[in-house]
Amino acid sequence: MNDDRFEVIGRVTRRQDGHAMVTGRQLYSSDISLPNMLQARVLRSPYPHARIAAIDTSEAERLGAVCITPEDVPRVKYNERQVSVPAKTYRDRTVLPDKVRHVGQGVVAVAARTEALADRALDALDVEFESLPAVFDPHEAMRDGAPQLHDAVLLGETVLPIERNIACYREAVEGDVARGLEEADLVVENEFTTGRAYHGQLESKAVVCRPEADGGITVWATAQSIHNTRQLLGSLFDIPLSKINVQRVPIGGSFGSSIQMNSSVAVCVALALKAQKSVKLVLTREEDMYDHCKYPSNIHLTYGVKRDGTLTAGYLKTVVDIGGHNIQAYPLLGCMAGWFVSLYRLPHLKFEGTAVYTNKAPACAMQGYGNPQVTFAVESMMDTIAEELDIDPIDVRLKNYVGLGETFWGQGPTVRSVIRSCGVEEMLLKGKAMVGWEGRGSSTSKTGRFRRGIGVGRGFHTSGTGAPTPGEVIDYSTAMVKINEDGSVDCLTALMCHGGGTLDAGAKMVAEELGVPLDRVGISPSNTRSTGYDVCTHATRGVYCGGASLLRAAQDVKKILFDFASRIIDVNPDALKVRPDTNRGQGVVCLPGAPAKRITVAEVAKTAQIKGWGSIIAVVSHRQVNCPPCFVVNFVEVEVDTATGQIRPMRAVAAVDAGTVINPDLAAGQLEGGLCRGIGLALLEDTTYKPDTGELTCGGYLTDYKVYTAQDMPSLEDLSTFFADTYEPSGPFGAKGVGEAANNATAGAVANAIYNAVGIRLTEAPITPERVLSALTRDAEQLQQGR
Amino acid sequence: MMTKRRVTLTVNGEHVEPLVEANALLVNVLREELQLTGTKYCCGTGQCGGCTVLVNGEPILSCLTLAVAVDGADILTIEGVAKPDGSLDPIQEAFLDHGAVQCGFCTPGMILMAKDLLAHDPSPSEERIREHLRGNLCRCTGYHRIVKAIGSCGQ
Repeated sequence: MNDDRFEVIGRVTRRQDGHAMVTGRQLYSSDISLPNMLQARVLRSPYPHARIAAIDTSEAERLGAVCITPEDVPRVKYNERQVSVPAKTYRDRTVLPDKVRHVGQGVVAVAARTEALADRALDALDVEFESLPAVFDPHEAMRDGAPQLHDAVLLGETVLPIERNIACYREAVEGDVARGLEEADLVVENEFTTGRAYHGQLESKAVVCRPEADGGITVWATAQSIHNTRQLLGSLFDIPLSKINVQRVPIGGSFGSSIQMNSSVAVCVALALKAQKSVKLVLTREEDMYDHCKYPSNIHLTYGVKRDGTLTAGYLKTVVDIGGHNIQAYPLLGCMAGWFVSLYRLPHLKFEGTAVYTNKAPACAMQGYGNPQVTFAVESMMDTIAEELDIDPIDVRLKNYVGLGETFWGQGPTVRSVIRSCGVEEMLLKGKAMVGWEGRGSSTSKTGRFRRGIGVGRGFHTSGTGAPTPGEVIDYSTAMVKINEDGSVDCLTALMCHGGGTLDAGAKMVAEELGVPLDRVGISPSNTRSTGYDVCTHATRGVYCGGASLLRAAQDVKKILFDFASRIIDVNPDALKVRPDTNRGQGVVCLPGAPAKRITVAEVAKTAQIKGWGSIIAVVSHRQVNCPPCFVVNFVEVEVDTATGQIRPMRAVAAVDAGTVINPDLAAGQLEGGLCRGIGLALLEDTTYKPDTGELTCGGYLTDYKVYTAQDMPSLEDLSTFFADTYEPSGPFGAKGVGEAANNATAGAVANAIYNAVGIRLTEAPITPERVLSALTRDAEQLQQGR
Repeated sequence: MMTKRRVTLTVNGEHVEPLVEANALLVNVLREELQLTGTKYCCGTGQCGGCTVLVNGEPILSCLTLAVAVDGADILTIEGVAKPDGSLDPIQEAFLDHGAVQCGFCTPGMILMAKDLLAHDPSPSEERIREHLRGNLCRCTGYHRIVKAIGSCGQ
């Protein structure tokens, strides 16, 4: 796909960091090694809920290890995630706890010359736990007399007592839902669940900390926000921010797992400060799996609908099991409300969300932040409505979807914007034709052991969290762009790339704006000392918000470039243009139609340097005042083995409305990867716990947790992707996000495909073979009784 | 204290004789002793394929292999896949051309598996490629472009 409007935007180009990745030169946090560095290990709780009665580190210290216990670390209560404004941030954890609230929680940490010695020191620690009753089910946790995880937490600076383990509650109401349901010809309701999927990023979390001579620290961490990491470390350890340098390090997959400053970062810093030596802490896969997971959901959903398929009301009630700590449940519930409300028009609506503590690993954002969970329920219900009213499922969607000119709740009730670009109809209709929708047949026509079905799911994600007014969530990015004396360009930003090509997109935008060949635009290594604030690369904001900040800086730089060029070639700067000259491998400033009035970008920059006019450089902090939805549509074909309950994804069409697509290959790659993880959420992935011990059933092993392999995905021929032809007026070069959207619609599409295959509505994800078989058996029994 | 032992290896064509402990894993010797960090440590228990290297031409999981067990072996890691002049192997070129790289963490293992496959089967079918990669996990790509890239290298 080449877009004639642009030189490099929309063209397939090799990613700039790709060469380092295919040759093994890319350095991730776990690859950082410093002279005289100690290796750290953490003693973790074997109990799901226990008070720490006594700790004896003397034997470990005798072996030469540096040890930290809860006594050695700051007592400050904090929240790992620093994206919300302080007044809306719930704080319930310390660097090391007095009381553990889930198996695998760190209690004591050691650092020693080698990993083997650190392991021996770990074995030599003596920790006495006083086991407490634990609770693993959120509904049980809310009952009177249930074990209480937290007595009180801090909300901002206010002490907030916790009752019945309810971490927070959120409600959104518009109109009168009871009236809306009364006005309906049909009321449908059902209950849906999704699992506590594990991020499964290939790089387990790692951190290296070097104490500096000036009392400061330098940190290399698996992190999605270097600035939030720095600010949190500064407040925890009382170090001026000017003495904390957090380096941006490539991340080996993320999916939300490091939006927060992971608990291991503070532990590593505490060890390094005590040892006054560099310390490295790399989590094992098992530790990583006990660190975080996706927010699970339990959703009760009711819709009222007219005979013609028009929705009259919607009511979604959810209970979210957040585990032992509240990382971001309050904004999560707000977002879940927003996703629900923004999928389909609801004249009357109600949302109620309750987040509940349990003695499990803390849940955090994972691709979609409540969106795949809500969309699974909503998209399943759209098909139920279609079935009940005998309308084509696509028509029900077309009739009710929230689209152009309507209000989008980008990040919940407080962040609203008007939709200005929308490719929903285009994607539904094109996808329908591509997948052969009309030939899918109804479940009643399907017989035999192996039955195939096709399902549709649609959805969206927000592109960032920007809004015209300050909200609960901070959102802006800072970028610096500089034209060098040879005409090449440096871009400096704290923005991250998690693999999707965010920084490549930024480089393309700068190249496009400055008319400089793409291979002469470089993304500089960055750290917190050299960059202005960037909130975090999360919420599918990289291209739309972070890219926009780079574009703004490039626009400012262009003004300076034209100003300097006008002095040299004597042309009014407003009349100048800049274009790449491939023969010279240079950008050329020119007056169109006047061949004599040309000068290369390099000549301008060099002349400005020699004459002392200054560097061609600009720094911009930019907040997007919008957060447009990037819409997605998935069509999935599955094959159900009615004898074993096994479901295989056979074919899929995935589409996104990302506005102008900056990197077509990488954007399609996002769709393919999102589809794979979405099918995983639908059919495979969950972290379950042993009720007697509170341990993960899979033990923290990937082979027992299970993720899809290359053998499980549809073949090359059977998986297609495409982009809607839209332009987002508020986006840089018309772009919106892709990231999280890529997996939001998938689970619903899969459940709908299963229904189309076997005529059974499965509402508990992952839809495992056991669940399929038991539903098939129940269905067969009901049929028999019916006879 | 454990006794250290000298092992003789040819790594990416270079003769090395690291001094290793009897229980040292190959992944750690490569990454820490030889500073070849392109070989990734992902799960440490042979579940994901991220630490794959070629030993005497065969893929092995370096996180499950003792360094002493491969004494005398010829080892290829991702750092040795490109030609000595720095030009890329066709598989590396294909990964870049097909957008098969996202976060890049599984990439070294995938490329070495692809090298192994193509050495035995110069034009593998898609099914064969998928079967060959079944032990190598990728969380970013859904495997689509990795399979495509390897397929494009077939003769």
